[in-house]
Amino acid sequence: MKIKVLSIPVQDQEKALKFYTETLGFIKKVDVPLSEENRWLTVVNKEEQDGTEILLEPSPKHFEPAKTYQKALFDAGIPYTQFNVENVQQEYGRLNNLGVEFSVSPTEMGTVKIAVFNDTCGNKIQIVEML
Amino acid sequence: MLKTPNKPYTNTLAVMNKMTFYQKEINRIKGICYSNDRQIQTVIGMRNYIENNFDKELNLDLLSHIRFTSKFHLLRLFKKYYGQTPRQYLIDKRITKSKIYLRMGMSVSETCYSVGFESPSSFSTLFKKKIGKTPTDFQKEQFSQSQSKVNS
Repeated sequence: MKIKVLSIPVQDQEKALKFYTETLGFIKKVDVPLSEENRWLTVVNKEEQDGTEILLEPSPKHFEPAKTYQKALFDAGIPYTQFNVENVQQEYGRLNNLGVEFSVSPTEMGTVKIAVFNDTCGNKIQIVEML
Repeated sequence: MLKTPNKPYTNTLAVMNKMTFYQKEINRIKGICYSNDRQIQTVIGMRNYIENNFDKELNLDLLSHIRFTSKFHLLRLFKKYYGQTPRQYLIDKRITKSKIYLRMGMSVSETCYSVGFESPSSFSTLFKKKIGKTPTDFQKEQFSQSQSKVNS
């Protein structure tokens, strides 16, 4: 078995694609139209295009428990997933300038530094820098 | 007159109440796992040393000399905070670097020595074990991928 795709639930795929590419800097890899307006939509890291893909899946829109779970995590401020960055402070500054909203500003936690932002698609996402 | 500590206290409470569950958890876990600042500074220093000297032999004697602790203690601390032994961490670092060098077109044996391994054949075996293909195949694949990008 290989780890090829991991998913993030999003409320609106088009909006998510815009945020994950234009704001976060990932690039679109696969875009397959499925039933109705749903798509099999994945993004990857620009420098690691053969790396693990992130599937932006519209589950909260179609499956009530997914919506409930997503909202509960969001309200508790719990990140749905996390990405590694070279420098949290720098990335925090860059995203802040783009209007991204942070619920945890850069915080040192032992051997890592973390920050948490709102992905505007229903999730909190954590960025991590290894110290 | 007694100073009234009320104001700052209520302020702290207000901040606490506004915190999300996750923020409270961060503070709680920090207190439990990351309260020993000296240990943390030690392991961060070790990791930085490995990051900057990945192409050299890992010298724990030197590190323990600088940090005034036994090398076994250093090993244990590193594993405790990073979840990997320094040796595992170093090997992963070298493999990551070697992928970059191979992509740049460096030869397999040159890559091997540049990241600090001593024998190209054991480097190839290790690379295959970690990445799933030999450095030669990896390099070929990278090259054909960039070629097809140019052609498309």
